[in-house]
Amino acid sequence: MIDKLIRPSVFLPLVSLVVVFGGWEIVGRSINPLLFAPPSEVLRQFGELLQTGELQDAAMVTVRALFLGYFLAVVVGIPFGILMGAWTRFGDILQPYLYAIFATPRVVLVPLIVVWFGIGFEARLFLVFFWSMIAISVNTAQGVRHARPDLVEVARSFQATRLQMARHVLIPGAIPFVVSGLRIGAERAIVGVIIGEMFLQIVGLGGVITKGSQELLPAKMLCAVAVIAVLGTIIVTALDTVEKRFQDWKGAP
Amino acid sequence: MKARSRKDVRRDQIVGVMVFLIIWEVSARLLDNSLILPPISAILAALWELIITGQLIVALSQSILLLIAGLIVATTIGFVLGALIARSRTAYWMLNPYLSALFVTPTIALVPLVLVWFGFGFPGRVTVVVLAAVVPILFSVASGLRDSPGDLIDVARSFGVKGEIALLFKVRIRAALPVLLAGLRLAAGRGVVGMAVAETYLRLGGIGGLIKSYGAMFQTDYVFASILPLSLLGIGIVSLIGRAERRLHWT
Repeated sequence: MIDKLIRPSVFLPLVSLVVVFGGWEIVGRSINPLLFAPPSEVLRQFGELLQTGELQDAAMVTVRALFLGYFLAVVVGIPFGILMGAWTRFGDILQPYLYAIFATPRVVLVPLIVVWFGIGFEARLFLVFFWSMIAISVNTAQGVRHARPDLVEVARSFQATRLQMARHVLIPGAIPFVVSGLRIGAERAIVGVIIGEMFLQIVGLGGVITKGSQELLPAKMLCAVAVIAVLGTIIVTALDTVEKRFQDWKGAP
Repeated sequence: MKARSRKDVRRDQIVGVMVFLIIWEVSARLLDNSLILPPISAILAALWELIITGQLIVALSQSILLLIAGLIVATTIGFVLGALIARSRTAYWMLNPYLSALFVTPTIALVPLVLVWFGFGFPGRVTVVVLAAVVPILFSVASGLRDSPGDLIDVARSFGVKGEIALLFKVRIRAALPVLLAGLRLAAGRGVVGMAVAETYLRLGGIGGLIKSYGAMFQTDYVFASILPLSLLGIGIVSLIGRAERRLHWT
């Protein structure tokens, strides 16, 4: 036990956390509470938000839009990506638009989304779905296009049928790309849901942040930020683990 | 899956964009609802007006100033912290918890807090850009400086370069330059997003403020006309750094 604590990988982060949180607490107490909140105040606020159920309700709203949007993105994105990858010409023609969409920050499209989808659930769903879907399909298309030429050649020389080719060469080769598309898509989906909640309809965890800034309660904002960070960490770590596993499986390039 | 020549691809793309723009123009005129879908001609007219009245130049220069200031600060901070965590285990373990936390938290969620703490003026906005852009720089500096170019270091030592700091500037940074530029390219893309977020959230100043205020007036043609330069700005900066990167790789 003691041995474990003394290892630098455990001991140093602990020291640093204690120092920073201690310093934050001391400094936080002497600054205007409208601007700054010490950790103790954040904890108190966290308990209060849990008791009133505000935080759980907000998290539910966020998670619902996030999961539905992401689910749709996966369902639409993978077939679309396969189409883009297999039909090269179609993929090439779409490329400039995808590039333009990636180059445009999502927040500045909010006025257009308001005009097209309103400010309700559909608009938030679109913010989650669309960008996540594009990330997934771009990666899938890359996976389909970048089948290892040596394997394709071997399969050809053994006169594999189209189905066999897809089953044994193309699909196994594309799966690592698809999985990293799923992770990037999830990251985009999380940012999308927060944008929707902060700029469109003030609900969910993003809404808690906006409300906290209007009520001048930094502690409340920090609580919501922490929950978002934890939620994001869980989702991205899970997909990261899956991704690593498939990367090993792919073997040598 | 036969490879298509670059020329074929280019031709398809140009035809594709032209068809897309014509379909847009025609359907917008048929729909006749410039709130939802303004025709291309109206968007171009709006863009022309923004240029003539000077609004676009003013907004764009504010945005670029913000972006460059943010990127300079982010590069400085990313460099110092990255070099620290690459060369010192202690610093790595001390700083790691915060960097991971910053990495997983969407920058947009931090914007209201940052603006409360650092003010709604220029410093607050620069901080938002820095938060968005610092992570890729930091990681690329850390990984570039960690993989020590052993043979280069030995050669430098035998030519009399002494001390960790001198080695850092004379050898390590130059050896890591391609990785650093790749990080800077990622950071520039994220910095543009950070800039847009800061300006949009505040609803004033720069391209983001312009878009937000036309959005509030429901002038969709002007919204499109002001989004276009922003996208071009992002593409321009990222491809500029990409070009520098390729140059370095080949020489």
